[in-house]
Amino acid sequence: MTSKTLKPYLKYLSDVQIEEIHEGSLRLLENTGVMVDHQEGLKFLEKHGAKVDHQTKRVRIPRQLVSQALATVPDRFTLAARNPEKDCPLVPGGRPYSRNGGGADFTIDLETGEFRPLLQADVKEYYRLMDALDGISFIAPVFGQDMPVLGRDILMLREAFGNTDKNIHLRAFTGESLKLMFEMAALVAGSKKELKARPIVSLLEAPISPLKFLDVIVDALWLCGEYGIPLDVCVMPIAGGTGPMTMAGNVQLFNTEFLAGVVISQLAHPGAPLQYAARPMAMDMRTGFSLAGSVELGIMATAGAQMAHFYHVPVSLHGPWSDSMTHDGQSVLERMYMNLMAALAGANVLVGAGMMQQSLVISHEQLVIDDEINRIAFRVVEGFEVDEERLAAEVIDRVGPGGNFVADMHTYKFLRSERYETDLLYRNSRVAWEEGGATTLLDRAKDKARTILKEHQPNPLPEDLSKELDKFVSKALKSLEK
Amino acid sequence: MSNILERMQKDLYAGKVAEVEAATRQALDQGLGAQEILNKGLIGGMEVVGRDFKAGDLFIPEVLMCAKAMHSGLEVLRPLLAEAGAASMGKIVIGTVAGDLHDIGKNLVSMMLQGAGFEIIDLGADVKPERFVQAVRDESPDMIGMSAMLTTTMPSMKSTITALKEAGIRDKVKVIIGGAPVTSKFAQDIGADSYAPDAGAAVDTVRTLLA
Repeated sequence: MTSKTLKPYLKYLSDVQIEEIHEGSLRLLENTGVMVDHQEGLKFLEKHGAKVDHQTKRVRIPRQLVSQALATVPDRFTLAARNPEKDCPLVPGGRPYSRNGGGADFTIDLETGEFRPLLQADVKEYYRLMDALDGISFIAPVFGQDMPVLGRDILMLREAFGNTDKNIHLRAFTGESLKLMFEMAALVAGSKKELKARPIVSLLEAPISPLKFLDVIVDALWLCGEYGIPLDVCVMPIAGGTGPMTMAGNVQLFNTEFLAGVVISQLAHPGAPLQYAARPMAMDMRTGFSLAGSVELGIMATAGAQMAHFYHVPVSLHGPWSDSMTHDGQSVLERMYMNLMAALAGANVLVGAGMMQQSLVISHEQLVIDDEINRIAFRVVEGFEVDEERLAAEVIDRVGPGGNFVADMHTYKFLRSERYETDLLYRNSRVAWEEGGATTLLDRAKDKARTILKEHQPNPLPEDLSKELDKFVSKALKSLEK
Repeated sequence: MSNILERMQKDLYAGKVAEVEAATRQALDQGLGAQEILNKGLIGGMEVVGRDFKAGDLFIPEVLMCAKAMHSGLEVLRPLLAEAGAASMGKIVIGTVAGDLHDIGKNLVSMMLQGAGFEIIDLGADVKPERFVQAVRDESPDMIGMSAMLTTTMPSMKSTITALKEAGIRDKVKVIIGGAPVTSKFAQDIGADSYAPDAGAAVDTVRTLLA
């Protein structure tokens, strides 16, 4: 009989502590409440039994509303892709997926090594590169600083549709442009109904910590519900800045913010797919910067994953993340522990590939390195099969003391299924290394990026659809100008 | 330095608010002058704090607590200081620019500048160019500080500088900018007077510009 090894979960909170944090959030929602800067939202919540102070826009949410909302939030859904082979089903205890970090402003030029603004010309390249990397399961927005401000998010989506057939993770600047982007996605999916059945885009929105819901997140929660688009409710208090200094306090705060998001979403659209995006940050007390690679982020996020599992919702955590300015040892070591902790915490999605310097910078070679780091993390949580044939007692007996397994049929049979093979990490002799130009990890990552950019052709949109999209975009941009 | 001023500096360094206030009164009772207490006790104390912050030995929340202690002493001295302006090192209008709602960085800079003895008029977040212009007219500050977190809102910094020029008051104030995506080159390009990469550097830059 074949059985799989245990899923190796990392945990910090005991069951009692999980209950305490949940109860703490219910009390905070009842007594302190959240600020909701959205007129319709205030009326809606009041109608459903929340106590609303219209003057201060403070909404106090009774606990029964939270239970009602948690009862309808789904425990699984799929981030569908234009190419169904690249779907990412997020299921309890399922394998993790990953995406790049979104919204970089700068890049490190692949050829010159220069730190410079990210431009529209770079955007296509980045989508094409990520389209080719298996360790990047779906794709977040990359913007050019030279793109027009108005409608930049819509132009981003247009470029993405042309350069990848993976799920596209949106970033919206206004509720208005968000609706336009969903209409664009419906055009590509075939119809609004088909988009709902197979959402080929997904979205992230974040309340502002502490406890503040701006109009754009309320719009996003409702529009996503209407269109059936999966939404990351991204809670990211900065410990010691916009959240308490203590790790427990930060978990308490972001859990409360997540629950408020669930209430606003589920009361309006029961069953709308939400992801618990537990992305706590920490303020560096020497500079005031928000840190990306501080180890406490991984610890707090793990507690967040436990809360998500308690509520039976998919969870997305920061994966390969780093504060480093360049592709150095600090960068690799921070990414590795952040990503492994997140994968071991049971994250459904590992977020951050390609980003450097507190997520301000994206880099081609970093994406290639993070693709590898992600695939290693996938391998770590996959575990291995245990059965009579694989336990191999008969083979050990056959080979006997002092023999070897190299030429055995058993080795031949399992040769290609048991190991994760790498094309990026160097594992040959010194002689071969020197003859091959004594390359470093970074050299090989750059080469791989160059090769992909030279050779990889993404799956194009049908020509008529492509034209239709262009028409839609120019009309959409005009409508935004009004 | 007299014992009482030495103790005041130590208490200030330890962020002991009530103790610094008490020591200030005690120093006055002992016959020390308000200006001397301010310069040697309070400002002297903050200089040590600033030095250790730069060396990485003190953290921002500790500096803010020291500043709070300094202000508790300053409030006692304020009525006694000869000229009204003697206690303020300069007046700064600060805000996060239009379209941008990220204010933790701006708040941090405000607190650090206040701690260093500057008077701060905080306009909050999503501040349109007209409001900066109005604030310069109403408050006659020495400087305005603008913050942005997004590349999409950075152009508003330029619009604000243009609005100041059009109102004919650009030369009445210094302009300093900051925020995650902002660079020193961008500051030059849009005609700001300076840029600071973090809250600590902002205090130094403001001191230099207003010296």
